[in-house]
Amino acid sequence: MPDSTGGIYTIDPRDESESTRAVLATRPTSLDGKVLGLLSNNKPHSEELLRMVAGLVGQRYAIKEVVEYNKGGHQWPADRAALEDLARRCDVIIHATAE
Amino acid sequence: MHFTDWAEAQDYYFDEGLTDGLPIIPPTPERVEAMLDYCGLAAGDVLGAEGIRHKSFLAEKVAANAVMAGCLPEYFPAVVAAISAICERTYNFHASSTSTNGITNLALVSGPYSAQIGMNDGVNLMGNGNRANATIGRAINLVKSNYYGSVAGDMDKSTLGHSGKFSFCFAENLRISPWVPLAEHKGFQRGSSTVTMIAANAPLQFECHGDREPEGFLTAAAHVLMGLGPSLSEIVLVISAELMAHIVAAGWSREQVQAFVHENSQLTAGDWDRWRRMDKLPPNADFDRVIGSVASPDRITVVPAGGDAGEFMAIISAWGSSRSVTKEIAVPGLASG
Repeated sequence: MPDSTGGIYTIDPRDESESTRAVLATRPTSLDGKVLGLLSNNKPHSEELLRMVAGLVGQRYAIKEVVEYNKGGHQWPADRAALEDLARRCDVIIHATAE
Repeated sequence: MHFTDWAEAQDYYFDEGLTDGLPIIPPTPERVEAMLDYCGLAAGDVLGAEGIRHKSFLAEKVAANAVMAGCLPEYFPAVVAAISAICERTYNFHASSTSTNGITNLALVSGPYSAQIGMNDGVNLMGNGNRANATIGRAINLVKSNYYGSVAGDMDKSTLGHSGKFSFCFAENLRISPWVPLAEHKGFQRGSSTVTMIAANAPLQFECHGDREPEGFLTAAAHVLMGLGPSLSEIVLVISAELMAHIVAAGWSREQVQAFVHENSQLTAGDWDRWRRMDKLPPNADFDRVIGSVASPDRITVVPAGGDAGEFMAIISAWGSSRSVTKEIAVPGLASG
């Protein structure tokens, strides 16, 4: 319905609620002596890709240990308890998708 | 938002990427209120909460998108039920909305409500020409992009997409079927109306003229289904009126159709491997293991629908791990079932 000036008002169809701001984890200055986590989403070749990357990282840094976790499927979020366990055990985690 | 006229509003919604590429009805407060009033909803009512992006779908915002889509207020109960359905975790709305598979949200309506609002369950029911079908489906997909943020090319990474992403909504044809309505088959009370939401690929239509025995044309359906398998989470099998008449004449139940199509669309793991329909099997795999095109008979939703002439069927496969969700449509003036 036009207003008194002949114009129209409309409702914004977008979500206008406040979103929570995510903060990036602190980045270490070096990976020497760090525990490296590899988080696979179970896509074909994702584990192979992550291991290749871990191999390259290992050539440049003295990685203390590599921890692997496969979340079992790319279509669902990772299990929260498993993620928290991974976060406790690892200094840095690499996540990847592949086909 | 204020605009000097209708045309300026159109330009704004196009420029802001708030349409699906087609013009919209500007969602004025009066139109949005009419939508809410019809369902007895307040602007801040939450129709559903999605767990991955933590989005609560507010009634006013969903109504604004429904107005934009061209819905009449009497269509809004179906949109409300649909939004509630896609928020169920098993539907996996977030992942299906981002996938390269090109998924839309199919709204399949069953029960007397579809006739009350004039939905098309007959000729060209999956196509154009019916306001209720077109705008209910469009409203759901506008909510997906405008409110949820799954915009094509941004969060929505569909490799090919399909025209059902504009709108995909139709009704079961109760006149051509002796079976209980899908709503009742899904466990709802007699006389209730439901919407079943399916994270859907494009429909695959095929013809089966000349075969009067269900074993014949349903074998054809099973073979078409094998082109989509294996291990689909669910499918919808739409059967048109002439073929339904043969099924009725043979006295087949919905469950018999489900069982036959499932049974005859299975292959061994070795066959699926040879068809390149699954990851290459290692040499020590069980090549004789039988794997269905779809996980189990009850994952086949059989829907009598479509025009009187022509012996056609369509298979609509669901996306990945998503499961369909059915919700009752709360029709104003009717007691909730």
